[in-house]
Amino acid sequence: MAALLSEEDRKYLVDLFEKELKGEVKILFFGSKRKEECEYCDLTEQILQELAETNNKITIETHDFDETDLVKKYNIEMVPAILMLDSEGNDMRIRYYGIPSGYEFSSLIEDVIATSKKGEVDLSASTVKKLEEIKSPLKLQVFVTPTCPYCPRAVLMAHKLAMKSPNIIGEMIEANEFPDLSMQYNVSSVPHIIINEGEGEFVGALPEDAFVEQIMSVVKGV
Amino acid sequence: MPLFNLSNVSKPKETNYDVAIIGAGPGGLASAIYAGRAGLKTIVFEKSTEGGQILLTDMIEDYPGFVSISGNALAENFLNHAKTFGANFTNEEIIEADLVSKIKRLKTDLGNEYTAKTVVIATGSNPRKLGVPGEEEFMNRGVSYCAVCDGSFFKDKRVVVIGGGDSAVEEGLYMTKIAKEVTLIHRRDKLRAQKIAQERAFKSKMKFIWDSVVTEIGGSKSVEYVMIKNLKTNEMTKYPTDGVFIYVGLIPNTQIFKDQVKTDENGFILTDEHMETNLEGVYAVGDVRKTPLRQIVTAASDGAIAVIDMTKYFD
Repeated sequence: MAALLSEEDRKYLVDLFEKELKGEVKILFFGSKRKEECEYCDLTEQILQELAETNNKITIETHDFDETDLVKKYNIEMVPAILMLDSEGNDMRIRYYGIPSGYEFSSLIEDVIATSKKGEVDLSASTVKKLEEIKSPLKLQVFVTPTCPYCPRAVLMAHKLAMKSPNIIGEMIEANEFPDLSMQYNVSSVPHIIINEGEGEFVGALPEDAFVEQIMSVVKGV
Repeated sequence: MPLFNLSNVSKPKETNYDVAIIGAGPGGLASAIYAGRAGLKTIVFEKSTEGGQILLTDMIEDYPGFVSISGNALAENFLNHAKTFGANFTNEEIIEADLVSKIKRLKTDLGNEYTAKTVVIATGSNPRKLGVPGEEEFMNRGVSYCAVCDGSFFKDKRVVVIGGGDSAVEEGLYMTKIAKEVTLIHRRDKLRAQKIAQERAFKSKMKFIWDSVVTEIGGSKSVEYVMIKNLKTNEMTKYPTDGVFIYVGLIPNTQIFKDQVKTDENGFILTDEHMETNLEGVYAVGDVRKTPLRQIVTAASDGAIAVIDMTKYFD
């Protein structure tokens, strides 16, 4: 199959990772043998393989949605799914459901870099303090389309919060690939963020403070 | 667009610069190219993805040198051009600015502080809301301001597009490729968009409702109809639709600067012919500026003029 990454982008990633990657990054990919159930599984796996070839600190482990133990361990809900483990095998608590293409490819790259630094991310002191108040599990689902330039900001914010707080799971969901789920949450304008499966929601890529405020209002309301 | 886009992977950074450019649309990126070539240490702040408003445009046909290029590809060219000449980029939003002092201070949403000797405000504008009942309520259930982002949710459905300018007509044309039915509703009896876009719209499957405004967006779970008022006859019509795309003008992103920088009554920043604002070393370029024309070519031109003038502070 022809390469998905252009030679120019491949070189860019080689340079970037050479400079930025500190430790090892293991990417777990979950696909499905039943191709009719997963239109984008092959493409997702291929782009991840090409990504891994740009730096030897990155490894890809491919699994099937049938592997129930692992699927259960990481709470994988649908495929294609991607998650990342740092050099000590810690789950960064980020999930990609659907192919991270278009503008979301940048999010994936940022996440690889952050994972190589064991989840060290840039968040304001006030956010870090607020995150300490979160004591029970919190799920952030960020619905996106690959053509939405505002979306990576919301995805990365959810992922950064997940890396920082042990109770948060941050998910990117490619809305077009999961129409039933998108319909369930009335997604018609992206980014659309669902907090704890509907306890809270908002639309738009908010600045950090406002994003965290939305989450805290759900946390405090519970 | 390319299947895998890398434009907003941010780079490592320092905190003190000659030039801080706020916003990475065509105005900001043209400024970055000229600043880099002038040997100025430059940083560009972008809160979402580098490219600005042009990322929301499907195809661009009025930027010289390109008969037809996707907004995405042109944005990438601008960005790579700026990076080639040494500009630094970071994905942070400026939330506080001291532009009055000789050394300008900028605070970002991540809590970082930067200083710069000069600042270029290139923050562009956001879509203006229609301000009718139902707009807020259905914001995430059928109302959209970005066809490129949300168009795919309306595959084989009916949508209305409100407005008569370039954005309304071009985004409406984009939707004719996705939706089953596209109806453009405009308060006048003719379009304001460029002639060539108008001609294409008239040839497409787009329908038109003239001399009319939408007074309400309604439905139960999601958008089901708009109420349309004919301004000539005052007749009200309930028009069924699944989606509403709103293009009724722009609101400049000047909220955090407006106490320091002079603006017109609509918030657009006033500059002299060199793009300098009332504050020394503070410039405004592109859509955010009070200007008779808001195009990629004029935004880029603003950036060039601003940076060439700015070099006086570094002699």
